[in-house]
Order: sequence, then structure tokens, then C-alpha cells
Amino acid sequence: MTDGIKRRDFLKVLGVTGASATLTGCSEPERLLPYVVAPEEITPGVATWYTTVCGGCSAQCGMWVRTREGRAVKVEGNPNHPVSRGGLCSKGHATLQHLYNPDRFHGPMIREGDRLRQGTWDEAEQLLAAQITATGNVMFIGGRMGPSMSNLVDEFVAAVNGTRIEYDAVSDAPLREAARITYGATGLPSYDIANARLLLSFGNDFIETGSSPVAHNKGLAQMSAVDAAGSKGRFVYLGPRLSTTGLNADEWYPIRPGSEAAVALGMAAVIADDAGAAGPYADVLRAYSPAVAAQAAGVSEDSIRELAERFASESPTLAMGPGVGGHHRNATAANIAVMILNHVAGNVGRTVHYDAAVSAATGAYAEMESAVSAMAAGQVGVAIVHGANPAYSMPAASGFVEAFSQAAFKVSFASAMDETAALADLILPDRHFLEAWGDSMPRSDVVALQQPVMQPVPHFDSKSAGDVLLATSVHLGNDFGATTFYDFMRNGHMEMHDDSVGDFETSWRLALRTGAVEHDMGTTAAPSQLQAPDVALSFDAPALDLGGDLTLLVHPSPRFGGGEFSNSPWLQELPDPVSKITWHSWLEMNGTTAEERGIREGDIVRVTSPHGEVEVPVWIYPGIREDAVALAMGGGHTNMGRWANGSGVNALALLPSESEQPSGAMLTLATSVTVTPTGERRRIATIEGSSDQHDRPIAPAVALADLGHVEEAEHDEGHAEFQELQGVGGFVPVPSEGGAATAFPLEGSRHGPYAESHDLPRWAMAIDLDKCTGCSACVTACQAENNVPWVGEEQVMMGRDMNWVRIERYIEHMDATQAGDLDVRMLPMICQHCANAPCEPVCPVFATYHTPEGVNAQIYNRCVGTRYCANNCPYKVRVFNWYRYMDDVPEPMNWQWNPDVTIRTNGVMEKCSFCMQRIRDVENRAALEDGRAINDGEIVPACEQSCPAEAIVFGNIRDENSRVSQVVSSERTYRVLDELLNTQPAVHYLRKVTFHEIASGGHD
Amino acid sequence: MKKRWLIGGLAGVFALAGLAFVQGGGGEGGEGAEGAVETGQPIAFPHNQHAGSEPGQNNMDCQFCHFSAERSVAAGIPSVASCWGCHVAIPGTNHPEEVAKIQGYLERDEPIPWVRIYKISDHAHFPHMRHVNAGLECQECHGEIQEMEVLTKPDEWWTPAKELFFGQDPVWGGDNMGWCVECHRRPDENGEQQASTDCAVCHY
Amino acid sequence: MSNATKDPIVRGALAHPDVTRLDDVNRDVLKVLATPGKGWWALFSLASLGLVVFFTSWGWQLYRGIGVTGLNSPVGWGVYITTFVFWVGIAHSGTLISAILFLFRAPWRQAIYRAAEAMTVFAVMTAGLFPLIHVGRLWHAYWLIPYPNSRFLWPNFKSPLVWDVFAITTYFTVSATFFYLGTIPDIAAARDRATGLRKKLYQVISMGWRGTDQQWHHFGKAYIFLAALATPLVLSVHSVVSWDFAVSIVPGWHTTIFAPYFVAGAIYSGVAMVITLVVPIRKVFGLEAYLTTKHFDAMAKLCLLTSMIVGYAYMSEFFMAWYSGEEIERTAFWNRLFGTYWWATWIMLTCNMFVPIMLWFKRVRYSIPALFVISIFVNIGMWFERYVIVVTSLHHEYEPFAWGIYRPSLTEMGILLGSFCWFSFWFLLFTRLLPPIAIQELKEVLPPPMRKQKEAHS
Repeated sequence: MTDGIKRRDFLKVLGVTGASATLTGCSEPERLLPYVVAPEEITPGVATWYTTVCGGCSAQCGMWVRTREGRAVKVEGNPNHPVSRGGLCSKGHATLQHLYNPDRFHGPMIREGDRLRQGTWDEAEQLLAAQITATGNVMFIGGRMGPSMSNLVDEFVAAVNGTRIEYDAVSDAPLREAARITYGATGLPSYDIANARLLLSFGNDFIETGSSPVAHNKGLAQMSAVDAAGSKGRFVYLGPRLSTTGLNADEWYPIRPGSEAAVALGMAAVIADDAGAAGPYADVLRAYSPAVAAQAAGVSEDSIRELAERFASESPTLAMGPGVGGHHRNATAANIAVMILNHVAGNVGRTVHYDAAVSAATGAYAEMESAVSAMAAGQVGVAIVHGANPAYSMPAASGFVEAFSQAAFKVSFASAMDETAALADLILPDRHFLEAWGDSMPRSDVVALQQPVMQPVPHFDSKSAGDVLLATSVHLGNDFGATTFYDFMRNGHMEMHDDSVGDFETSWRLALRTGAVEHDMGTTAAPSQLQAPDVALSFDAPALDLGGDLTLLVHPSPRFGGGEFSNSPWLQELPDPVSKITWHSWLEMNGTTAEERGIREGDIVRVTSPHGEVEVPVWIYPGIREDAVALAMGGGHTNMGRWANGSGVNALALLPSESEQPSGAMLTLATSVTVTPTGERRRIATIEGSSDQHDRPIAPAVALADLGHVEEAEHDEGHAEFQELQGVGGFVPVPSEGGAATAFPLEGSRHGPYAESHDLPRWAMAIDLDKCTGCSACVTACQAENNVPWVGEEQVMMGRDMNWVRIERYIEHMDATQAGDLDVRMLPMICQHCANAPCEPVCPVFATYHTPEGVNAQIYNRCVGTRYCANNCPYKVRVFNWYRYMDDVPEPMNWQWNPDVTIRTNGVMEKCSFCMQRIRDVENRAALEDGRAINDGEIVPACEQSCPAEAIVFGNIRDENSRVSQVVSSERTYRVLDELLNTQPAVHYLRKVTFHEIASGGHD
Repeated sequence: MKKRWLIGGLAGVFALAGLAFVQGGGGEGGEGAEGAVETGQPIAFPHNQHAGSEPGQNNMDCQFCHFSAERSVAAGIPSVASCWGCHVAIPGTNHPEEVAKIQGYLERDEPIPWVRIYKISDHAHFPHMRHVNAGLECQECHGEIQEMEVLTKPDEWWTPAKELFFGQDPVWGGDNMGWCVECHRRPDENGEQQASTDCAVCHY
Repeated sequence: MSNATKDPIVRGALAHPDVTRLDDVNRDVLKVLATPGKGWWALFSLASLGLVVFFTSWGWQLYRGIGVTGLNSPVGWGVYITTFVFWVGIAHSGTLISAILFLFRAPWRQAIYRAAEAMTVFAVMTAGLFPLIHVGRLWHAYWLIPYPNSRFLWPNFKSPLVWDVFAITTYFTVSATFFYLGTIPDIAAARDRATGLRKKLYQVISMGWRGTDQQWHHFGKAYIFLAALATPLVLSVHSVVSWDFAVSIVPGWHTTIFAPYFVAGAIYSGVAMVITLVVPIRKVFGLEAYLTTKHFDAMAKLCLLTSMIVGYAYMSEFFMAWYSGEEIERTAFWNRLFGTYWWATWIMLTCNMFVPIMLWFKRVRYSIPALFVISIFVNIGMWFERYVIVVTSLHHEYEPFAWGIYRPSLTEMGILLGSFCWFSFWFLLFTRLLPPIAIQELKEVLPPPMRKQKEAHS
């Protein structure tokens, strides 16, 4: 008898203790489980918010966490955080799925023979202590951790006189080394992208990886957004392959892999009137003329010269050196070359700062190599791995797995099984960062606190690594002045605290509330002079291991990073921002190259390097040089979790185990490969139908030159009568022409609910395509907020992906053979909430209809599933529940479900609802506060909240002063297919602004 | 002969109609009403003893225990501790052994597994505070709780059909959209309908 | 054939030269109802087997969810809707032949209309299942029916799908009644010869028909009245079905020509199906004397006419797409001819436009085997016509980034196959239980005994 639509598998209507579950069906009665003792701060049915720090990657963005009845249900960006400044990436959202990951360990695991047995914590700590005392020679291999944890580890390791290895799978070591060599800086440079007028990225994918993707994404959006004065910053990407970052460039210089240094120096040579400007690097500058650079890069000398001149004139400018994807044998030198370029262009201290000491993942691979050799030599007794998974993230060639098993006793702090933990003798499952205390120092002048937002997930008996170390130390007879990691951390901060700024408690509380405190370190004067290198540097193109005729580019995945995020179904199903492929791996190859070899898209090829081989399907991509192929990290897990295992291939299998000198970073661009078809084919699990707009007015653009008279450019015969049409049910006040309506609605318009007398708000959205970078954060945010199921690789291949947001990536112009303009259009396509919606009249049961507030509502429980609405939707934003997808969600992953949103069952249509639940929530709150009006910007849909680029604005368009009305008043505003179909969408887009001319009425 | 056909036919029609209504009304409730009476509560909690106004009853305000009804979508179920807060001093006159159970749960640090009586389908959102603040009495939806020793509500499979033909039951209308809509449609003092009947007000 | 011309043309009916005595008719037609032969049993068990496939597939789909089909986004409609329209189309010729041709006094209908009507009824029964098979939540499909309910909700009368509910149910009711009415005198005839259980059954359903003048009088009135009632439905039903598509904004669907186009197509496929069904009956039950080549010639001509109308519709669609100058429309139709589903389009064009050209030749029209083969081609072609309209239009719509491909699944194929078995199941039963040829109407066209033929039918 039940309708099958469950709002959530536990009861929202009251405080719930962990063990509750709704029993569906008529057989069993439903149980109401009250708190035993009710916590004051929790009102059942009302969300409680906490601030914390995202532990997802080294960027350490600020986070807000929404909890309901004591469970974290949604994470959001914290706008008060001085570094990330709001917004959150897809990976950040997906950390929730790691919290509720059903594959987490249920307790400390102790190896007995070839199987693992669950033990108690006391037992485990005793065992660890015993082993340390017995065998000694402790080696602590630690990934990125907060300063307090780092101190604790140092003290712990010192106490047992062991060694500590810092290791990051994805590391910016060359950049840090370059900053040290040239300016004696301690951390990474901090970039002020927003204020650059001309931005050069030498293969630096700063909105995907690096020190702060979210902040850099925001910066890029601000820079490239056209300002009131009608000017915008220009972004030039120099590299062999267009990453997500690259797709946002205005120009693309498809330079040869490894030629960044040559190009940077060549440009510097043009800029610097005399080579002396480069100080100790003068002779390097002399050696690299534009001609040499052009020779090395495979682009014309003129283009380099001309770019250099612009770089000098359009100051302030900014150049960023090669990132993780470009770690070749001279990566440090390449970064230095870029620093020289910034130096001679006078950007140091303006757009690039070396005094802020940005901390990020910079662990050196070289240390791991020594660790491996030490272990192989049997010099390691107890090998402890924390926050890293070297068995996966080190190339097979490194021999880590063999060496690690040489260690007498192997300990892992992994909270869920991974390739390294699988080898361990003792597993001490760490807490998820949302369950544990911690701190972070993203920049030398910022301290942010990571506080637990909920009780540990009861299914898993986990314990924070800090507490474990402290407890073990007690067994070892060491005392670090604290019994819990919380005390240890707090003591540390108390010591650091400078009483002049007020007492400790206050600032501690403040930090907990706001998420981070900024304390002025007193700006250390920026080093103005380049220092002479203290190591030998070569700026030449790096040597490659000869494995074939194609250079292999291995880059971190925008979805999985180095592979640590792979066990999240959200991320697995998130279409890659570049390829739009989900789940599996693919080899990017230029069309010309493929044609020469008779390879078609979907062909499975064998990629062979001197170090290994993988078999992977080909995806044809015009955004990669003809002499290169690219493969993303993060696939091919063998022992991580149900969603990661067997999905894709591990690109590292093709790489040598070698570290770049002097930085010691792992090489990602080190070898060439041969690509041979296996004869097999497969369907690519992509969501992309066609990357060509077919001349349709979907993602039009406007040339910078045309700004100010877009309307004229758009005017054609029949436009006036269209505007008359527009009056009916439309939003936008229509300029009076030949008796056409001047405002919505027309006299005698039959759209009753929309009549002016009607005082309800009119919800609408504006999306600025000039800001949107296609990073896809909104996609995951929406999935998390609206209980949107994931469907799996097979279903995606059948065309059944369910994401409510589809980032359409239309390629207008892309030429990998020469430097020139690049034009890629990113368009977040969601339900357009048409006032004149084609889906509404065809539904036989009013399951979809228009609310008086102008939202195109979908009433799930009324839907019969004829799918006519989907057929008739020109935007194809309606997705159908072909199976009971949510029934397959394993406990406790379903704890994440949003209790305010109905869980859809089999046979029901669904789509974007403008986050109706958030609208209702604010309405209810306003009503409680004696019926006050709703403020503009009080209702924030999930996509708007998480958008790092701040491209999305939601609000009441009936109010002229609302943000959305302001934005929509821009001349760039258009509505997709509206002029064609008169659908009157509520979602307004602002045209992308290009530097080059746009042909044919805005959509070329 | 003819007559028998007639009777048979009518019977069939009514059977179908009945089915339809079950689907239409009570049906969507899913779990909910069933087993209210037959399934005993873990503690025989007499609402009338607490909220009743008869002599010897305590005439407590509903929101004394259902604490969040006026500020949250959820009315809230009192925590075991808050039950004990009073009962630590009040052993109970009629059934002290039942009262004693509370302490048991508290000591075992266990929630009391109350059997749920009132439940709207999961796809309908009912914000308690909006209704409470609109001046509705709890009884308008829940029935004369303060007079019930054992909670129950008249929601049988035929309830919706009964309501169609004989009008809404004065007490709790079951998990029946008509019951909600009928009230939302009532005219307020200005003669306008007193609450929105827009689908998306409750279903999203 | 020559003696056909010599025969008196009674009310312009086609002569049956080899039939002279009225009780021959009863004998020949009613012998069909005698105990079935092996062939019948073989076909019947085959059909029953197909029914098992049919309901197993449907059951599986209900159990697992609609996902067992190949449907996806953007292609939300596929084989099911295709087959639905196909069967609705088949259903048309029956009423056309029995009702419209009756009103227009067309000479040649008497011999075939019974089979055609039966086909109509069973085809509608088949078609009616498909919307139910198609919806995501069958258990809520009754929400499309307007009735006062406890939710205070009504269906959306703007939606063509609701119109469908009315169209199909009305058509089924009327055509079934019409069919039943026409059979009553023949059932009575059968009753008089039948024995045992059969007799009892016929007694009940012949409603005490005695063949009195008064009964004949009422019968005639009722028959012509129902004929008049059914006639507009022939045109309206498939027009409504066509609006399922025409009302939408999908390029390739949104066309004003759809209603006439669909009706013509329906009659086309219907007549073809009649040929496909009547040929075996004629052979198996030795009814050559009653179903003469002249009848087939007439049906073939009807096929030819409708095939030309349909062909015109195709051409005009392509022409308008080009002439409109609307890029998206143009792309849609170009894609129809040369896109992913080119093969479907070309099957459709071949079977529906090119193959029937042969019907211009009298030799072909008079060759039963040839007609049988052609009719099967037409049936296939008409199914693919609907497939082309449904699938190719959907898979490349307005939003290029959301373009997709649809591959029918095994379950869908099982249900498609099953639907034919479901239809055959009923039709085979019909050939056993009711006279497949209208006895009383045949008798009307025979020279009455004991009278001079001159005064025949004065």
C-alpha cells in the first residue's frame, strides 16, 4: 500500500538516535525514537550549522556544514574564510560520501595470517606500542596534516627516535623549490589573479589542482568578467593540452610539452630591455631569444614576441608556472623561468606575492624513494602510513609494495580500505575530518579550526589518529602534556596566542564561529631581487624516456585528484569537465593523430611505455597537441572500495619512478608511449551528444567590441512582433514598440497568477556565462542537496544520468596546430522554469504545472510516468527514475539524504526545483518572525551557494532592486531558445564576452 | 436473471470504486494507521491522564512535551529524560509499574520505541509551526487526544470512501489529501481562501 | 471471371458464381466452426506460448521497473508507443469496411467485413494495453480517468494523453457493440446447428433471435444507426492519436498534416492486415467461393489509394521541412533520411511507397499470393513509419548536447512479439466461435430461390 516515496530512511520529525530506521510497508509499525537526553542546541526539524575546514585536499577551504538531528547532510563553502572566500568544489561536497562511506572499517583491524580481525582500540594501541618497543626503527610516512597534528607526529617520532617522511601524491614541490631558489621564500607564492589584466598559465591547471583551486577559480572568474567600464582581463593558456582551466582561456598557445621555460625566457628576453634585469639569470635570458623559444615550442616567433609585448604593456599581468600535470625533468627550472618572466614584467608584489607562504601539498617524492630503499634494505621496523596511499599513488616501478612488505610491522591509519592498508598488519581507522578536531594554516597569516560537526558515525568504531598516537605514547611511557588530541591542539594554540589581541578564549570562540582567524604577521618585505641559484638548473626541454612517438601527459583528475577521491559515486558519476565522461578512464587523442592511426572514438587501445602498459578507450579531443596523448590520474583502484575498484586504469603504471631535481617531485611528464589498437571497442559513458551548437541560439557570445550595442546587433525583422509575443507570460519588461506590451503581463493576459495585482514573488535565476568556468561544483552540490541518485556506468551509457545540472561544453573554435583564439562555451543547463512551459500542458495529471510564484513544479507523487513532459522539453533537463535507484544506496550512505526533499521512486520524472525546500524553509522562518518579508539573497539554491565563480544569482525578479533583476538588466542577457519557441524561461543567461569577433547573430 | 446481472454489475462497480479510493486516499499513507491499537505501545502512556481536563487529570498543554510544535516543522517527542524530569517525583497513581519503565530506559540509555500513530505520507510536508501559529488547535487534526487513553484514529480502508459520501470525519481525516485541501480552502475573514492549495506548498 | 459479368448485380454486390443455394452458405460458412484441425491447434498453441512471453516480459518490467526497456533521455518513447499507434491503425479498416462502406453501399464489403470487424475489436484490445505497459507507474494510471476522488483532483484535459483515454475507450465500446450486433443473426444460425455447450453459449449470446420480420426490422435500424455512429470515430480516433505528437513542439512531430496523414496510414495498414488475415482463412476453410479475387482486387485498390496518400504525406513533410527554412526542422528531417536511423526510414519508404506500386498492375491485384506478400510488406512498413516518427524525432531534438541513441531491449521485443500473439489468440478463437463471414448479408446478394431472377429483389 505504500507509495514507495520515502522522504528519508529515518524520521525527520523528531530527534533521532543513530540506530533508528523507518519500516516501510504495512507489516511492521513505524517507531518513534526520542532522544534519551535532548541536546539543547538541536530542535528536531531545524537545521544546525557548524563551521569547519575541508579536509578534502591541501587547499583547506572553509566549510559550513548543515546538520539535521545530529547528522551532517550538506557541506557548503564558508564565505568568511580568508583564503577560499566561499564556494566549494565537487570534491569538497563529496567528502560527505567519504564520511558515510559503507566501506569504512568497523574498528581497528589486526592481521592474523592473511586475514584481518577486528580488535579493540586498547588492544590495538598496546600492540603498536609493543611493536615499537620491540622492533624500533619507526618510520612515519605522513600525508598532508594540520600544524598541530604535524607537531604531535614530530614529537611522537622524536620520542621513539624514528624518521618522518612527508609525502603528497599530488605535490607542488617544484613551485615551492623555485620560490625558495629565486626569492628564498618559505612557502608557495600567492597569486592575485583577480587583478591581473593579462593572465598566462604555462600548463598550470589552477582551478583544478594547486594551492587553492576554489580561490583561484573565483579569481579567474572575477578577472575575466567584463566590468562596468566594459573591459575584461585576458587569459592565455600555454600548454600541450587544454584542461578545465585551459578551456576558459581566450587564447591557446599549444606549445610543445616541456618548452615552458624556453617560451617564458624568450618572452622575458623581449620584455627586459637589457638582460641585466634578470639579475643572476642574465646569461640565461641571453641564451633564450624568441627565435629559440619558437623553435622549442613549435609556435611562431611573432606570436611569442607579440604576446611578450602585451604582457609588458597590459600590466598588471601574471604568469603561472607548470603545475602537477607538467612535472618534467626540468620542472623547477621551468617555474623559475616563469618567475623571471613575472620579475622582469614587474608583477612581483603586485599580482604575485612570495611573503605569504601559502602552505599546500609540497611533500617531495624523493623522500619516498629513500624511504622505499630503506624499507627494501630491511632498515625499517615499524612502518606507519597516515593520510597517504603510496601503494596506489606511487608508480608501480617504484617497488613500494615489495619494499613495504619488507618492514617488520606495517601500520595504516586509513579509515577505509585502500591499497596500502591492504598490506598493513595493523589498521587504526582514523576519524573523518567532520568527526574530529584539527586545525589548518592555509597561509602563514591564517589559522582555521576544524571542529567535529557530529558524533562519529556509529557504524564505525573509529578514533582520531592524534588520540591514538597520544594513547600509544602513554603505553610507551612518553608524555606530551595532553591525553586527548583536542587538549594537545588547544595547548599549542594557547602557546602561540598573542595576548595583545585579546584573551585566548574569545579568539578561540571566534575562530570556531567564523571558521578562521586572520592574524597580521607583519608583512615581511617582499624580496625584490632574484637570488642566484644554489643548484644546477637546465632550462632546456626535458629528456623523455623513449617509449614511442607520442608524449604521454599524466594529470590529476578534476574529479579524483590523485585518486584519493575515487570511492565516491557522486564523483564517479560527475561528468569530467573536459571530456564529459563518467566513471571510466579514457585516453585523450587529437583527431588528426587518431585518423593517421585509423583509430576511432571508443576504440580500446594499448598504451605502452618503457615502464608499463594500460588498455583504455580513446576519446577524440581537439584540445590536445597532435604529438601527445593524455591520461588522468585517479582510476584503476584495485582495493579501495566498491565504487573505485575496477573503474578505469591507473595512469601511474606508465610512469617511471623518478623524482625531479632539485625539488624532488614525482615526474608526471617523463615518457613517450606507443598507442596500438586492441581491436576491441566500447561505448563511452559520456553525457555529451554533440559539442557543436549547430548554429542554434543556445550559448551565444558577444564580442567585447560589440558591447554597448548588442541589441542592435541582435535586431532583425520580426523582432518587434516577437517582443509582443514576449509580453504574454514573460518576465522581462518589453520596450514599447508599435503598441506592444511595455511590461509583463499584457492587458487581459490570461496568465492569472502572474497578473500584476498578484503580490507573490516571481522566482528567477541569472547565470553569467562570462564567469562560469565549467568546474561542475554546482552539479555535485545539487546532487547532494536534492537527493539526486547516481545510476552507475551502465546506465550512463544508456543515456540515463540523473544530474539536474548539465554543464554543456560547446567547442566553437579550437586549433591545436597554432597559437590563436580559443572559444569554448560553458553553459550550465538546468530546468529553465519556463513561464510558457512546453512540459506543462502535455502532462495528463498535472504532475508538472506552474506555481503562482513562477516555478515550474514537479509533483513527484502525482507523476504517472508517461514521460511526455521530457519529450516535449526542448532543453532536455527532465530526468526519469528508470529503477528504484535510491533503494540501492547502502547504509549509512543514506544518512546523507536531505530530509526536506522527497526521495523519488521508480517510474517518476524529476528535475531542478529551484531548491523549493530552501524557498519553503525561508518562507517558514519569515512567517515565524511575525510574517516579515523575505530579504533578497536570503534564499540561496545549492548551485549558487557552491559556485566558486559566483556566476549564479537567484531571487525575485518582480522586485526591480533584487540582485537578479539588476543582473538581468544587462544587455548581455538572453534566454535559451526563447526567440525560437517563446518558452519564456525564468533562467536568464548572460552572454560570454569574447575578444574576437562573433559571426552570425551571437551564436557562431 | 436480468436482476442478478444488475446486482452483480453494481457489486463489481462498487468493488472497483472501493479499490480506487483505497489507492487514492488511505492507500498513499503507506505505513501509518495500521496497528495503532493492536500494536501495544512500549509504555501504556495515557494521554488523557496528562492532557485531560477531567477532575484527577493534569490538563497539561500539548506543547509542554511536544516542545517544538510552534517553532519547527516537527512537533517533537519528549526525551526520556524530560519524562523522568517530572516522573522522578511522580510515581504515578494508576499504573506505577508503567511509569517505572521510564527509569529503565533512562538507565539503559535507550530511546523508548513508541509506535507511531499519526503520519502523513513522506511526500507531503506538514510544517507544524505554520499551523500552530495560524491558531489551529492540535485537536483539529489529531482529534480529542486529551480524552484518549489509547491513541487511535479512524483511518480504515473505507474511510476515504465514507468521507466522500458522508463528508469529512470531524476528527483526523486520515492520510487523505482531501482533508488538508478542504481546510486550506476554507474562506478567511476576507472571504479569501485561508491557505494556499498550490501543490508545491506541501509536495516538493 | 467472365461469368461474373453475366450474373445479376444485386445492389451492386459482387457475384459469387459458384454459390447457388442459400443453405450452401450456411453449410460452407458454419463448417468453419466444426472441430478444429491440427493447423489451428498449432497456431493456437503458438499464440498461447507468445502470450506467456508477453506477460512474463510485462511482469518482469513491473517488477524491476521501466528501466528494463532501452528507453532513456532524450528518447522517452520507443517501441511501446510505436506499437500502440500501429495497432490503433490496424483497428481502423474494420470499421471503415463495415460502417462507412455499408453507408456508401459499397458492393464488395459483405464477404470480408466480419473478419475485418473482429480484427478491429482485437486490435483495439491490443492497442489499449500499450499505454498501460508504457507508463512508469501502472498502479497510478487510473489517475487519467476523470472521477470525483478524495484528492479533489482532475486530469489535465489539455493533455492529448487524456484525449487518448476517451478516444480509445469510445472506439472500443462502439466497435465491439457494432461487431456483436452484426453477428447476432449468424450466431442464431449457428445455434440452430450447434449442440451441447456450444448451443447453450449461442443461445445466450444470440439473444433469442428468431429471424422474424420485426426482429429484422429492428436489426436493420439498429445496424444502420450504429454504422452512422461509428463512421465519425474512424476519422476521429486516429486524428486524436496523431495529436499525441502534433500537439508537442518536437521537430518532426509538430506538423498540421498529422491527422489526415495518420488516418490514411491507419486505413492503409488496416486493409493490408485484412488481406493478411483473410487469405489464410479463405485457404484453410475453403471459402474461395465466397472470397473471390474481385474482393481482393477491391481491397488492393484501397491499399493503392491510401499508399499514395501516405506517400504524399511523407513527401510533403520533407518538402515543408525544407521550405520552412527553419534550420532545426531541416536538420531533423535530414537526420531522418541520413542519420543514425536511416535504415528505419528507408524500410518505411520502400515498404509503404515503392512496393505498393506493383498494385497498379491488374495481374498483381488478382494474384492472391502476391497480395499476401505485399500486405505483409505494408504491415512491416507501417510499423517502421511509427518507429521513425517516434524515435528519430526524439533522439535529435533542440539541444545538441543532449542528443542520444535508443536501442530497444529484449523485454521490449518480447512485448512487441507478444502483442501479435495476444491479437492472434483472440482472432483464432473468433474463427472457431463465430462465423467469419456474414451469412445473412451473403444471402442478400444471392438470387433468392423460387423466384425469377429478373424480379430479384423487387
